[in-house]
Amino acid sequence: MKAALYILTLIAPGLGHMVIGRVGKGILFMTVLAGHAGTAYLAFQRGRFAWQPQPFAYKVSPTALWVSTICLLVVAAAVWVAALWDLRRSVQRQEASHVEAEGYWRLVSRRFSQDPKGLIGLAIISIVCYVAIFAPFLASTDATRMNLRAALVEPGPSHPLGTDNFGRDILDRIIFGARVDLGIGVVATVFNMMLGGLLGLVAGYYRKTPDAVIMRILEIVNAVPFLVLVLLAISLFGSSVGMMILVLGIFGLEPARIVRSEVLSVRENDYVMAARAMGAPTRRIIFRHVLPNSIASLIVVATMAIGVNIIVVAGLSFLGFGVKPPTPSWGSMLQEAQEFMRRAWWMAVFPGLSIVTTVFGFNILGDSLRDVLDPRLK
Amino acid sequence: MFAYTVRRLAQMVVVLFGLTILIFTMLKAMPGDPAKVMAGLGARPETIAAIRLKLGLDEPIPVQYWKFVTGLLNGQLQAMTFHKSVWAVIIERLPATVELGVFALIIALLVSIPAGILSAVYRNSPLDYAVTTIALIGISVPVFWLALMLMLVFGVILKVLPVSGRGDTLWGWSFLTLDGLRHLVIPAVALASVQMALNARLTRASMLEVMRQEYVKSARAKGLREWVVMGRHAFRNAMLPVVTNVGIQVGALFAGAVLTETTTAWPGIGRLMVESIARLDQAVVFGLTLFMGTCFMVSYLVVDLLYAYIDPRITYD
Repeated sequence: MKAALYILTLIAPGLGHMVIGRVGKGILFMTVLAGHAGTAYLAFQRGRFAWQPQPFAYKVSPTALWVSTICLLVVAAAVWVAALWDLRRSVQRQEASHVEAEGYWRLVSRRFSQDPKGLIGLAIISIVCYVAIFAPFLASTDATRMNLRAALVEPGPSHPLGTDNFGRDILDRIIFGARVDLGIGVVATVFNMMLGGLLGLVAGYYRKTPDAVIMRILEIVNAVPFLVLVLLAISLFGSSVGMMILVLGIFGLEPARIVRSEVLSVRENDYVMAARAMGAPTRRIIFRHVLPNSIASLIVVATMAIGVNIIVVAGLSFLGFGVKPPTPSWGSMLQEAQEFMRRAWWMAVFPGLSIVTTVFGFNILGDSLRDVLDPRLK
Repeated sequence: MFAYTVRRLAQMVVVLFGLTILIFTMLKAMPGDPAKVMAGLGARPETIAAIRLKLGLDEPIPVQYWKFVTGLLNGQLQAMTFHKSVWAVIIERLPATVELGVFALIIALLVSIPAGILSAVYRNSPLDYAVTTIALIGISVPVFWLALMLMLVFGVILKVLPVSGRGDTLWGWSFLTLDGLRHLVIPAVALASVQMALNARLTRASMLEVMRQEYVKSARAKGLREWVVMGRHAFRNAMLPVVTNVGIQVGALFAGAVLTETTTAWPGIGRLMVESIARLDQAVVFGLTLFMGTCFMVSYLVVDLLYAYIDPRITYD
């Protein structure tokens, strides 16, 4: 009987779930797979798989195509594995005669799966990430080729979101722009977390002189609007994508403050004192006791920080200091749109909506995580 | 209290000193020669050299730093791309930004505080969901895009508001003419959006926190009407963190002004900042950054002191 379930799932992920009555999850797995198959079909139809020869004018590097192609297979495999694994867990839980004690992360994942806010956020972010990864397959062009005869075409069948002043398809540019914006936002946030987290840990744990020095540095950086500081740094170091990541990563020190206050309260706990009494070295206390207990707020801050960084990147590009044309990014698309506001509303509306949706996804996810990760609530 | 204020002021001086070093270093390390930008394309080397001499760009860096700082303090520092002192340039542009910021703040508070309170009082009602969702969207919308959309809808399609610029001013520099107000609407609403969302969230959270307190329960228990409980007991205590936040918002308003003013061609100091960075006017950027930094820190300090004044439970020292 059980073997039949697994075989069904192997044939089509989600089928097994439907048989045991978990219809919603079954439909979810099937939808994901169907969507993914659609992407594969698009790639096949356009001949975009990495091993296929690309036309000369197509300006996406072979490496990028390889990455997307390999990701296509990985995601497909992941759907099957996830379906099998989830099915096994459901079956086990149905058979279990006793209720198991819940660990912290099990509790968190259960509460998360019951929170519509978090699920909406996760869905939005997953879709944006998916679009970014498979941009070469989903976009009909490479988003940089100009076609002046098709300039400023209204949204319609051939160009769903219209074209810009150079005749480039807006939808394609939004799809490729997702790579740039999301990439910079996420990687810069990783830097923020590492640098800000470290400073916050040091300041909160050692207090006294290190704390005073770090707090003064934070105040200096904080006294000037973040955008102005980043503008200056970008004019200093140049606005390549790598430099923008670095600049945002270094100057976005807001996490330090939050980590510091979290560490200040965690370090007063008895288990920290016990560890110290047993003679544990400072490094062990910080990384085994203080850090894991501050991780919840770090996750929330990181999620929200990605949204902030995406908005800042868009703002920089909008002012003409950020991502340089012809590289598509949502902010620079808005900058180009400004001039054509009266004639082409679609140039301004759709890139902005992409920013809002993506940032909203991160914000609502962070909001939900804040509730879910704190076991003291509810 | 006095000792605390003095200590804070001393800290402020240290931070401002650090800020001058940071900004000056960044400005001087920037690629591009301000003299070349000023001389224009195809200028002769002699002209560039003359401008460099005039601006003092050939002097040793520490000397230049000293001149920048003292020049800023005694008001003699000359802007590189204007024939005026840095202070004259800033003061000329300041009223526009103050006007924009004050109106944005008023709009934000007028909308967000009632929204936050209603959302907390009717917790988990459709109204609450609407407010929290709109507030979440509000913090996700880039101000410059919102400004663009408002310009598109009210300026281009409906043609009820002017698209950009500041409009007529009173006596050459002041605000509050009818035309000026019409020009003010779009930038002020755009700039207010983020503050509105943040404040609504904060008010809601703070109200919920206060409504759990014992004194609210006892006010209810002694039979006070609900609106008295909410208005007199809960609301006043819930406002404390909101008031503090207004101080912090001064910094955020400056940052927002940089984008909003650029989008709507509002002639304030935010736009001046972007223009000056683009034109490599090191003197103006230096002065403007320190000016913004000082405003931010002073407002922070004032709010902290105000906090102790409003809430007698709080003492410093």
